[in-house]
Amino acid sequence: MFNLPETSFNFGGDEYIYAEISRDMRVESNFKALAITEEVRKRNIPGIIDVVSSNASYLVRYNPDVISARDLLVYLKEIDLTKSDPARLHLPVRIVEIPTWYDDPVTQEYSRRFQNRHPEPGLSNFEYVMKVNGFTDKEAFIERHSQTPYLITMVGFLPGTAWHFPLSHHQNNIIQSPKYDSPRTDTPERAIGLGGAFNVIYPVNGPGSYQLIGRSAVPVVDPTKRLADLMETSFLARPGDIWKYRPITEQEYNQIKVETEEGGYRYKMKNIMLSPLEYLEKGETYIRELMEDF
Amino acid sequence: MLEVKEAGLWTTVQDMGRVGQYHLGVPPSGAADKYSYMIGNLLVGNPIEFAALEMTLLGGTFFFQQQTLIALTGAPMDAYLNERPIPFWQAFTVKEGDLLKITSCAKGVKSYLCISGGIDVPEVLGSKSTYELSRIGGFYGRKLVTGDMLNIHEPLPGAFKQAGKSVPLEFVPAFSNFQELRLIVGLSSYLVSDSGVKTFLSSEWTVSPESNRLAYRYKGPRLSFTEHHPPFGAGSSFSNVVDFAYPIGSVMFTNEEELIVLHNDATTGGGFVTIGTVISQDMDLVAQSRPFSTCHFVTVTIDQAIQIRTERRKKIEHLVQLLGR
Repeated sequence: MFNLPETSFNFGGDEYIYAEISRDMRVESNFKALAITEEVRKRNIPGIIDVVSSNASYLVRYNPDVISARDLLVYLKEIDLTKSDPARLHLPVRIVEIPTWYDDPVTQEYSRRFQNRHPEPGLSNFEYVMKVNGFTDKEAFIERHSQTPYLITMVGFLPGTAWHFPLSHHQNNIIQSPKYDSPRTDTPERAIGLGGAFNVIYPVNGPGSYQLIGRSAVPVVDPTKRLADLMETSFLARPGDIWKYRPITEQEYNQIKVETEEGGYRYKMKNIMLSPLEYLEKGETYIRELMEDF
Repeated sequence: MLEVKEAGLWTTVQDMGRVGQYHLGVPPSGAADKYSYMIGNLLVGNPIEFAALEMTLLGGTFFFQQQTLIALTGAPMDAYLNERPIPFWQAFTVKEGDLLKITSCAKGVKSYLCISGGIDVPEVLGSKSTYELSRIGGFYGRKLVTGDMLNIHEPLPGAFKQAGKSVPLEFVPAFSNFQELRLIVGLSSYLVSDSGVKTFLSSEWTVSPESNRLAYRYKGPRLSFTEHHPPFGAGSSFSNVVDFAYPIGSVMFTNEEELIVLHNDATTGGGFVTIGTVISQDMDLVAQSRPFSTCHFVTVTIDQAIQIRTERRKKIEHLVQLLGR
């Protein structure tokens, strides 16, 4: 079993049950959330409307005219206690490459535009994140940020937005950042943001409070379904997938962007079977093995 | 066909909402005041979930190119059929060439124009509701603009027998300028200090004008949080928790002086401190709260919430008997 505290359950009004696995963020909590929500979904229970796996918790929406709230609570508690054995968990997921232009001019421009609500108005978001994490060398920062693979631990906010969390056993190695106190009213699409220990790629222009450190050359949503790899759902993000950043130059960024606009771009992807047990036992060695030939 | 001569302030196609997509970040959307919307459908002889127009503060002007049956419900706006005033909460026959003009309301926010057979737009991800942020559903994913031509379905056979039927006064909501919103305390309420919870419950909160279908914002007194060290991964602010999926109706503090109640087009997750969740019935009251109106929050248990829900269901079943074809 995972080494986790007892899940805390709450009624969210009359239609939701919210289960908090841990207050802090741990990869194990997310694996457990994936396991439990998968089990609930598989059982296809009448009256259950939405099942959402999130970073260190999960949320179930149900119709109380069909299922009694208190009976569902008992039922979920039982699944929570018995169905999260990591040894029996094998997640069919994908590793996906995100070609990224770090510290690009557009996110720099947004840093300036919204500097009046930033704790350090004189710095760009990129410089601020470097500073709060003790980096003075830009290349060293990019190296650290891009070498760690990230696990998609939650999808939400706006459709197609994925929180992803570094698969690193050492909390000290994890790049973290405070968020804007008062959110920006706009963010460029495909901007990469950092808030707390989480990364997101903003799918479309919109509000946001994470620090912007670069831009993905590839979209994470494709409503017009031009791209073969996004044909199925029009969203790139799937909970449990692993994203890997690859630093690119302005020239390559522009080249990939043309390919995506013309519809010919294919994402670099690899299908794997992710084993939470092996991750718990072998840690970063296991992640290195998974990433070896990627 | 329905021709939009004037679109009003914020008019969208809505139905009961979109389910089963929350894990992809797609919120439910759907009519903001479900009670008024459902009754509008009952009046015109529709099943309760047929797509209707939701108007905001200022209605709009609509030209009917076919005969049908309509009803207006929700916030009582002034309405004129060919310049003759018509009441809300009643079913009317409109003829080809009729002009329906709906202006402003002195109470409430959201009004519904329900039409026999419903608005004919394609279902997207299982619903006709408009979700504007991602341009999903409704009429091309957006609010209506002047000049739009909306397809409406043929009136249901027998629908015209409904003409003249009206909702008894005791079933019409009050659209008061002071609302009592019931919530179940929980989620990350442990981060709000005891005196903070007390202040939250004993204070009057004022609706700010930036409120919309995503969230209603309220101004009130300064609240104290517990002095906690933010959990690992959450960021550095006292009001941050590890990001999680928000229930619709979540009451959250973005800072110490502002609270937000998430509504049907909400962002589906984030990391703000939440004190609890407004029960689904009272989301209708939230939707009808005018800017600068006030509310206060009252706690209920899950059993009370379910009882309130049952009473409302019975009320609607009663109306089905009363108004049904």
